[in-house]
Amino acid sequence: MSGDTPPPGDVFDPKKIRSLIELMIEHELSEIDLKQGGTRIRLRRGQDPTAAAPVATPAAPQTAPATAPAAAAAADKFAVIKSPMVGTFYSSPNPESAPFVKVGDHVSADTTVCIIEAMKVFNEIPAEVSGQIVATLVENGDPVEYGQPLFRVDAGR
Amino acid sequence: MFKRILVANRGEIALRIIRACRELDVETVAIYSEADRGAHYLQLADEAYCVGPAKAAESYLKINRVISAAEVGNVQAIHPGYGFLAENAHFAEICESCNITFIGPSHQAMTKLGNKNDARRLAREANVPVVPGSEGLVTDEQEAVRIAHEIGFPVLIKASAGGGGRGMRVAANDLVLKTAIQQARNEAEAAFGDGSLYLERYIQHPRHVEVQIVADTHGNAVHLWERDCTMQRRHQKVIEESPAHNLDENVRRAMCEAAVRLVEVSNYTNAGTVEFIVDREGNFFFIEANARIQVEHPVTEMVTGIDLIKTQLRVAAGEPLPFRQEDIRTNGCAIECRINAEDPAHGFRPSPGRIERLIVPGGFGVRFDSHAHSGYVVSPYYDSMIAKVIVHQPTRQEAIASMLRVLAELQVDGVRTTIPRLVEILRHSAFVEGRVDTTFIERTWPMGQ
Repeated sequence: MSGDTPPPGDVFDPKKIRSLIELMIEHELSEIDLKQGGTRIRLRRGQDPTAAAPVATPAAPQTAPATAPAAAAAADKFAVIKSPMVGTFYSSPNPESAPFVKVGDHVSADTTVCIIEAMKVFNEIPAEVSGQIVATLVENGDPVEYGQPLFRVDAGR
Repeated sequence: MFKRILVANRGEIALRIIRACRELDVETVAIYSEADRGAHYLQLADEAYCVGPAKAAESYLKINRVISAAEVGNVQAIHPGYGFLAENAHFAEICESCNITFIGPSHQAMTKLGNKNDARRLAREANVPVVPGSEGLVTDEQEAVRIAHEIGFPVLIKASAGGGGRGMRVAANDLVLKTAIQQARNEAEAAFGDGSLYLERYIQHPRHVEVQIVADTHGNAVHLWERDCTMQRRHQKVIEESPAHNLDENVRRAMCEAAVRLVEVSNYTNAGTVEFIVDREGNFFFIEANARIQVEHPVTEMVTGIDLIKTQLRVAAGEPLPFRQEDIRTNGCAIECRINAEDPAHGFRPSPGRIERLIVPGGFGVRFDSHAHSGYVVSPYYDSMIAKVIVHQPTRQEAIASMLRVLAELQVDGVRTTIPRLVEILRHSAFVEGRVDTTFIERTWPMGQ
């Protein structure tokens, strides 16, 4: 499991963290320690007042942002690519190919960053901003709504 | 019954539909524009998707986004509410082709009844009285006089290319008619590029009485009696009530039965409303049919005890109506007042803003249908109605007294509302005694007052 290529997605997604916590409560686990590619998250519950606070360690320099609070602060200065429609988000041109973009890639305004499928039509979505992809905020196959943030881009680079 | 439906609307009607679904254990997917983000009623839906920016044309009316939301939301049906896409036959057709049930009539029935000409023809077929008029266009004065004598004076000369009340003239006798025809033709030519005219009997002091109907997919069509919506301002309904006050019982019955005949001949299914005007002599004439659930449906619900939204869902899911015509009775009197965020002191101009405080009335037979709450922001992008207050009492007199009591309790701080004008109307002797017609409000409170 730890040798796999990490799928696109943000391990610091609150939805994911919440379901991990629920899992821990349901099965009365005191600690979960997960590693996926270059990122790791450890949750611990119990007497310790800081229990259930996520502790994340970036293992490799070019991967996802360091800690959740730092990411939140940094998010303000990044541009966001938002969905122009309602539909289903696909990160690759087809299931067999690599994603259009991944974290670290440089994009220009007309780079296709993803496909959003609506009413059986596959729409290629352009970045409309140039810079470096800092984060992918949705997962392959997720339903997305109008205005939903899809990617965070560092427009300065 | 459906497992999950999409509510293709906003505000109070979206909330109304979500409530009915929750009671039927049907999951809901709501849609919202950026202006409606954070509205409290959205939390009552199981899922909600943003479909665009504030402007309705960019969000609630965007068929592709609404359908996409239905697809990602994995719904089996869509309830269109009223307004927006509710009477858009093209939308109904697209739903059908996407295998999503449209909760309403078929697009064919919607088109048939939606076209005024076709609807009039169907009405005649079904032996439903229509406003007497010339069968087609009137080309010369002699013909005009002959037709006018057939249909009865006074007559209304209408430009067939006209609209919005323009290109209409009233003529009370032969002499006036001849000159009026000439003038009307010239005016129509100048204003619309088309001088074609037709004649209709001019109904003076009309009452607006409409009949609620519902038909299932098993051949059963019934009426749920009538609503009187005579209290209008600029063709917008202000107060609605059921039963229609002082309406001859035979006229009432004949009108309701006529509505059912029209529905049957049109292959119409689900809920709808057939509108009539009633003259001083008690003659009623078909005006138009509305192929949707209406704003004022709670009035009928209170007097009949039948939940119309649940009925719509059941009919759309293929169930037969659980009641027969003989089971449907009205009990007591229900009155509804529409509360709009408008400033009566400034010609009823819209009064958007933040509702700082909302105190909701209650008590025996009181129903408050609203998506508003303390802190709710009334935006300028949609219609100004923020609430419907409905009261149900054993008699009309008690209903009026109850409504006055309720409007005194209701507090909406932060925006101007039409409450003061509603109180004036309810206290007016003409309203109480039923001596009103559709021009009453505009005549009694002329523009700016």
